Amino acid sequence: MSATLDKLTTVFHDVFEDDDIVLTRETTAADIAGWDSLRNVMLMRKVGRTFGFPIDTSEVTGLKNVGALVDMIDRKKGA
Amino acid sequence: MSEPTGLLGEVFADLAARHPASLRGAQEARAIEPARFDATAERYLGWLRKARGDAWLTSSVNAYVQFSTDVIFAQADYEDDGAYAHDSFAKAHAEVYSQRHVMDEYLWGVYLTNFLWVHHMEIMRFFQDRFLAPLPANAHIVEIAPGHGGWGVWATASRPDVDLEGFDISPSSIAIASSIANAAGVSDRVTYTLRNALDLAVMPEASADAVICSFLVEHLEQPDQLFAVIGRILKPGGTAFITGALTAAQVDHIYEFRRESELIVLAEQHGMRVRESLSVSPQRILPKAKFLPRSMAMAVTRCAHGFW
Repeated sequence: MSATLDKLTTVFHDVFEDDDIVLTRETTAADIAGWDSLRNVMLMRKVGRTFGFPIDTSEVTGLKNVGALVDMIDRKKGA
Repeated sequence: MSEPTGLLGEVFADLAARHPASLRGAQEARAIEPARFDATAERYLGWLRKARGDAWLTSSVNAYVQFSTDVIFAQADYEDDGAYAHDSFAKAHAEVYSQRHVMDEYLWGVYLTNFLWVHHMEIMRFFQDRFLAPLPANAHIVEIAPGHGGWGVWATASRPDVDLEGFDISPSSIAIASSIANAAGVSDRVTYTLRNALDLAVMPEASADAVICSFLVEHLEQPDQLFAVIGRILKPGGTAFITGALTAAQVDHIYEFRRESELIVLAEQHGMRVRESLSVSPQRILPKAKFLPRSMAMAVTRCAHGFW
């Protein structure tokens, strides 16, 4: 597991209030109970605060799965 | 409940495949009255496909998801800040209305919320049953700020006896509403003109049998002026369908209505009586929210004798 995915898992545990969530790069909203449009926005705001950069809404809607989110975070961290 | 078919089935499948987080709200909207939802959706989507052509599905679903996501982000910021992001029309105009591409996608996204958002579907039912069905024969309708055109075109497509004259400040709105009217085959009874709604104060008094003004009041610095216009152009005994957003943030919402009574009082102050109203919130809101976002619809009648 990458460091980003590891840290992201903690964010998911916090936002979904579920410490049993296990993330893979292939995880999508369909795999996690309660991952609706509201939680999605809460998640992205929390990701922005945790990793230290703002996330634009247009970036959120284009994400296909957790792997795409990890790549976006790594890209922004490296920018 | 059976799975949706036809164009709606395509929309649900696309949401499930590309935007699963956005599917639940649409499913909730359908679950309330599936047959009516499906009929409403199929009609709206049929016009949408004709208006936008082969690429209608992906581009429209993207616009819907983008708009819905923007709204939730704005609501979350509103929860943090306790106020809408902008308080002037000039700022909203600079960020949204004057940006043609932004405005186009915004309008297509809003178009789909007419039925895909559960509380907007409730407003749509109110529009059909409590405003449109009781309109007198051959009514002349004025639509103020038609936006995507979905309300007025629905009215004219459902009632072959009525005609509609729409005014909007946005060239995008005129273009998109006209394309929807063409797709619905009602363009012979619908005209749209680029004009500021508040300039309608120069229109002949008591010239409209009915007025449609959907989700404009919260975009204005002085909603009072809009109600003055509606009260002026409506014939005595004529009916207006007016909707507004309360404690519901959006990048271009600038007037923060907190209570349903504020809208009712505005109508009363300008010679109208609220016959019926409906205020609806989404089924799900942000956890620990201080504000309950609502959409409110009113069917109002211009008083003929002062009090009524």
